[in-house]
Amino acid sequence: MEILRVGHDAWGRLVLQGVSWDLLPIAAGIGVLVILGHAVYRLIRGKPERKE
Amino acid sequence: MNSPERITRHAAVDRLFHWLTAATVLTLMGTALLPIMGMHFDWVPVHWVTGLVLVLLVIFHLFRSLAWRKLRSLWFSADGRPVGKYSVAQKLMHHAMGLMVLSAVVTGLLMLKKIETPFLTRDPYIFGSHTWGVVYVTHGLAALAAVTLVIIHVYFGLIPENRMYLRAMVRGWVTRQEQWLAKKTT
Repeated sequence: MEILRVGHDAWGRLVLQGVSWDLLPIAAGIGVLVILGHAVYRLIRGKPERKE
Repeated sequence: MNSPERITRHAAVDRLFHWLTAATVLTLMGTALLPIMGMHFDWVPVHWVTGLVLVLLVIFHLFRSLAWRKLRSLWFSADGRPVGKYSVAQKLMHHAMGLMVLSAVVTGLLMLKKIETPFLTRDPYIFGSHTWGVVYVTHGLAALAAVTLVIIHVYFGLIPENRMYLRAMVRGWVTRQEQWLAKKTT
């Protein structure tokens, strides 16, 4: 998996073009992992006592 | 907000700021990421115009925060006692979002020089290709961070124990009991 997108400029030199969009599912996955982590934490610790 | 049981948590102007920022960030994410996922449309004009709206919102927020708020309440206490009305988690989310938005806004403004706009002359040669690469990578990292942060922010905004914060962001108020419990559990 690529982390960066690279190309070549007019002189043939390697240049950065941006981050690799292969990382997009990883960014979303980190968010989902946090949600799952919190859900597990809540299962173990129980719900907080706040009420409406 | 007539009942003495209710306390204003967010003024109307702050709620408007929050939802306008949410709308612009989601529009920016949609216009940037949908083409990458294969949905092709003329995204550049919508993206840069929405980006400029976000710039105005950021300037408004910075001005309002610096002029009217206690900056100390943005930070954390060493002894774990709550400072200001926001919890540690809420402050961390704000600071992460702030860093993401500022990175995107600064690099986005620079990238305006690469396209034709009514108020700027296109000049892609203001930076060398290496510098532009750093600008693109920073803008892309901000986009990736936005995906992660929006997922987390929406989740914590919707879970039942935080329902009062969502209501406060829509209607402006929390009850005294909710405020007391929130401080106790922070």
